[in-house]
Amino acid sequence: MVEIKKEKPEDIFDPDGASAIIIKDLVKQFDDVTAVNGINLEIKRGELFGLLGPNGAGKTTTINMLVGLLNPTEGTAIVGGYDVKRDLSKIKEMIGVCPQEASVFKFLKGRENVELFGNLFEMDKKVLKERADRFFETSGLKEASNRKAKAYSGGMIRQLNLIIALINDPKIVFLDEPTVGMDPRARRKTWEFIGSLKDQDKTIILTTHYIEEAEALCDRVGIIDYGELIALGSPKELMKKHDAKNLEEVFMKITGRRILEGV
Amino acid sequence: MQRVLALVKMELLKLIREPAILFLNMLFPAVLTLVFGLAFGGLGGGDPAMFEMMAPGLFAYACIFLVMTVAMSFSEDRESGILKRINVTPTTSSQFIGSHIITNMVITVIQLVIIFLLSLLMGFRPNIDVFGFIMAFIFMLLLSLCSVGLGLITATISKSSGAAVGLSFIFILPQMFFGTFLPLTEVTRVIAVFLPSYYVTDAITTIFNGLSPFAIEILMQLGIIALMSIVIVILGIFLFKKYGKI
Repeated sequence: MVEIKKEKPEDIFDPDGASAIIIKDLVKQFDDVTAVNGINLEIKRGELFGLLGPNGAGKTTTINMLVGLLNPTEGTAIVGGYDVKRDLSKIKEMIGVCPQEASVFKFLKGRENVELFGNLFEMDKKVLKERADRFFETSGLKEASNRKAKAYSGGMIRQLNLIIALINDPKIVFLDEPTVGMDPRARRKTWEFIGSLKDQDKTIILTTHYIEEAEALCDRVGIIDYGELIALGSPKELMKKHDAKNLEEVFMKITGRRILEGV
Repeated sequence: MQRVLALVKMELLKLIREPAILFLNMLFPAVLTLVFGLAFGGLGGGDPAMFEMMAPGLFAYACIFLVMTVAMSFSEDRESGILKRINVTPTTSSQFIGSHIITNMVITVIQLVIIFLLSLLMGFRPNIDVFGFIMAFIFMLLLSLCSVGLGLITATISKSSGAAVGLSFIFILPQMFFGTFLPLTEVTRVIAVFLPSYYVTDAITTIFNGLSPFAIEILMQLGIIALMSIVIVILGIFLFKKYGKI
């Protein structure tokens, strides 16, 4: 469970401590370009939330502000009870991030990569080994764990990426396109794995281009376009509201209409 | 400390497992020493005194080339997204940079041992005691610290690891030609006084010639190189954090 800190001033946004993330009027400006334009959003504890949008919509920029890689131009966000503008070190202790890039050391073995990041979270050696063993077993990478990452396929690297993101037992997990480059079987297996994280009471924020992935996994989704949050709700709610057969149709209707309207 | 040790271990594994890094850091200084030994030293039938005069510059050469490996390392880690990934863990900038400094100190120690042993094989017999060795060693460590800072500056201005290799020569070449064993003219001396390798080579040459390592001119050079290394490292960290596009 995400720790509740009643004494903190930001609790005025979240008096019952039920939210894992609260985004307030978040803006990110790069010179003349507004990448994120006044997003407001609340993500509940234990929720699997999907952030969808076309390329360049502002998804990764939003995530980067939540994990401390970018400073907001305006507004703020509360992650796990801490303000991204003031308490980044506290936030970094409780999050796990699976980035889009294959961010692993290729000259290290799979297991060495995982142990390195576990040590960066100052994990107990025994706990680290146990968790690594368990993840390698469930992901199917057990045999490859003692091979250098440069010998891994693209799909195996993505799985290793995911294991590293979860090794510190984070309360809040950010998964940025976690299944890109995976074959359909590996993708299904990863979906099951991500779904199982919900049972461990983790809050998961997932960005993906595979709309069917969001529909299958997410409790709620938010659709971002041109830096603005233009739709929010459960996949079923959105399908009903937009009279669509699936989430992909909703996505095309909403983002396509904005293109036609020249927004 | 657990974080720093884990990062140092990773960097040392990179040294062993990446052939290009291993060559630049270990084999290159060894080959250079052998080539100079053959060309100028007793090994090639030449005058051993000539090699002895060049030996301090050879020690400095190894440390100067750390600029390239540090710049490559930071640029590659940035390209692959590794720096971002480390940045979202609780690891602080000082822990990360500190691990690089420790790693490069370890590399410097290994380099110095290799070059010194090869130099002894070629008849190099410096006129120093144990304090002289320690002082020469401290000078080399400070030069490698400067190289870490200059490597960070190089990584800041490089768009890729390939560019980092080329751009690192901005800092390597002047130190090679104006700061080590080539005789200085009035003009090149004006440039040399701004180069860390000039003070290190000069101090080590003086120590190897038998002057007390605690002589005032040595201590003054130690003060200058210590100040230079601190300024360069702080500048490197500042520039990389602000403009390094992590």
